[in-house]
Amino acid sequence: MKPLSVTLPAIGLRVMWTYIATGLAIFLLMLLVGISMRGSQAGWWTIEPGTFYSLLSLHGIGMLTAMVVAGLGTLWYLVSRETGLDARVAYLAYAFFVAGVACVIVSIVPGHYGALWSMLYPLPFTGTYWPTWATGAWLVGTALVMLGFMIWCGQILGALLARYGGLGGVLAVDYVLHNRAFAKLDHEPPPPQIFAAAITAIDGLIAGTAGLTVGVALIVRWLDPTVAIDPLWAKNLTYLFGHTFANLTMYMAVAGIYVGLPICTRRAYHTSVPLVLAWWGTLLFVIIAYFHHLYMDFVQAESLKLVGELASFLAAIPVVVITVYGAVLLVHRSGMRWTLGSMFLFTGLIGWVVGGAAAVLDSTIPFNVDLHNTLWVPAHFHTYLLEGVVLFTLGWVFVNLEQRAGASSGALIRWLAGLGVFGGGALFVLGFYIAGAAGVPRRYAVEPPPGPYLAGIATVGAILVLVGLLVVAYEALRLARLPRSEVAP
Amino acid sequence: MRRPRVVGLVVLGVAVLVAGLPLLRGPIELPVTQHHLLHAALLVGAALAGVLCGRRDALRRASPAWIVLAMIAPILAMLLMWPSAYSFFEQHPAGHAFEHVGIVACGFLAGFAGERFAAGVGWATGGSAVLMALLAAFGFGVAPPTAVPIAAVAEPSLQPGASGRRNTGASSPAQPSHGAMIYATNCAVCHGTAGEGVSGPSLKDERTRKNLRQTIEWIENPAPPMPKFYPAVLTAADVRAVATYVQTL
Repeated sequence: MKPLSVTLPAIGLRVMWTYIATGLAIFLLMLLVGISMRGSQAGWWTIEPGTFYSLLSLHGIGMLTAMVVAGLGTLWYLVSRETGLDARVAYLAYAFFVAGVACVIVSIVPGHYGALWSMLYPLPFTGTYWPTWATGAWLVGTALVMLGFMIWCGQILGALLARYGGLGGVLAVDYVLHNRAFAKLDHEPPPPQIFAAAITAIDGLIAGTAGLTVGVALIVRWLDPTVAIDPLWAKNLTYLFGHTFANLTMYMAVAGIYVGLPICTRRAYHTSVPLVLAWWGTLLFVIIAYFHHLYMDFVQAESLKLVGELASFLAAIPVVVITVYGAVLLVHRSGMRWTLGSMFLFTGLIGWVVGGAAAVLDSTIPFNVDLHNTLWVPAHFHTYLLEGVVLFTLGWVFVNLEQRAGASSGALIRWLAGLGVFGGGALFVLGFYIAGAAGVPRRYAVEPPPGPYLAGIATVGAILVLVGLLVVAYEALRLARLPRSEVAP
Repeated sequence: MRRPRVVGLVVLGVAVLVAGLPLLRGPIELPVTQHHLLHAALLVGAALAGVLCGRRDALRRASPAWIVLAMIAPILAMLLMWPSAYSFFEQHPAGHAFEHVGIVACGFLAGFAGERFAAGVGWATGGSAVLMALLAAFGFGVAPPTAVPIAAVAEPSLQPGASGRRNTGASSPAQPSHGAMIYATNCAVCHGTAGEGVSGPSLKDERTRKNLRQTIEWIENPAPPMPKFYPAVLTAADVRAVATYVQTL
């Protein structure tokens, strides 16, 4: 099926750069917040526990929002190349994100909210040290972020349904089930990045609905303290939304691999039946993988824990294996030049695999009992986000900048950026992994030994990441200022 | 295009009639779960009607306002499902019917606006409204047995807009001691409302394992995974009060 119309590339690019620039700017600010917390845990300076938990709340929701906003911008542009998208809707969703972030900042900076986004009811209402208006600002802010996300999902879903003739077309059902007939008719399945967009939109709408359900319930509870809420229900919905939201950041960013690596290697990344099946697995299972956050909740049904374990494996492993295998084959003997773009995209695969493996380990019930309340959990999601999603995003940014300018970066810049962002990031997450394996608890302002020593190592790593990112920012600005070129780098 | 719209209007009419049932039946006392499930049933009809009435030419460009309305409508429906024991809407048949009509309007808007935005999206946004009501049935206004005493001793001063009427309306037995209030607020979630142990260990007969001084020391400097409440959350007086209470379990 041919597209009805496509969005003008300039409009699509403008939306994409607005989203990515905002996402990366929030990311940089949150990195500074993260460094301040790790330095405090290392004993390099002192942050009072109440302030620490406020900063932790800001850092958690801020980083997730940053990565989501950057990923949504990339996907919006990629979908706009296939079918017509109204930029006004993208900016409307963006306005909701900005309003949500503003409310969250108000709840933290003057309000000192400190219960994180993953708070367990009766938090954030009892045992608090911040004013109740701060709780309200936080709840409204997160609801606005969810609303912006759902508007984006609704727009992309509508566009894909129109472009590919319904859900079956978007998910390439005929391509998988009636492959020969499909080929005889000379039909083409959607390109790989469309699966990333479709899964984000569909699972995003489901997860967003769950998130808004518990979000509205908590807002009502904030306004009317007589309203009861079941804590187990609240925890299930909180993690259904939060875990899916966090996981989707990777599936958004991986679209950069499907489009970016082919630009670097001058080879096409084709849709294949295994790839589609893997994405179906993610579509079905990423929504219920969150049960691994509730293994230790004895009131949760045992069967759901087993479902959570299986879903965690099936949501992550197939799509990682097939995408990485495809990417490696794409690069193998392609004569690809190691520019900043290709380097970040490729090293991002390493972060995805390592972070994913650590996540799968944590979602395995016997290990979870020992690891889940330790720094192992932040270790895995920092690997996943910092060494995966961020690198994919930077890779995609640089592939675009290099292609636009017809130039790439010098060896020194590549080494500095690579060592800083990837090397510093590796050192940073290593501090978390070792501490987690040693049983250092997570979400503690003051950690028992060997936490402070390892926090010091992690802080050095995080500072290296910051230095690397400053080099990256300098180089991005340099490339962006070069005149547009038609010659590929 | 006309036939689906007619079917949609018929479905909407049926949903509105069902929504008006409280006018005939008078005050309806239902458990919150069943009440939410009935709301979900109303929303199924309303959202379906909205989708059928909202179908449009896919080639025409839609206003962005439709998608915002489609996403906000389920939230408004959730707010109308506010499960307050003191709600005017719950106690007066006319108010209750009005509330139901509002829920139907929100469900219709979710489906209609979604479908006006883009073909197929109405099913997703209407489904979102129904899913919210279904999910709400299992926790929004539904307290597990252990949560009742916590609600009973919730700190009134911490809640916004807390009027005496609302807070005293909870099923509070005798006035609990300061230590019991702190225990219910901070400890009962893990240790159980009567100290029977939930995710945390049982505190029954804790006095046989630790004396008051040891209990205070433990609360002030607990070992993981027990959270540290002192001094960020609890003062030294609070710790002493709750430790004294724990000694009585």
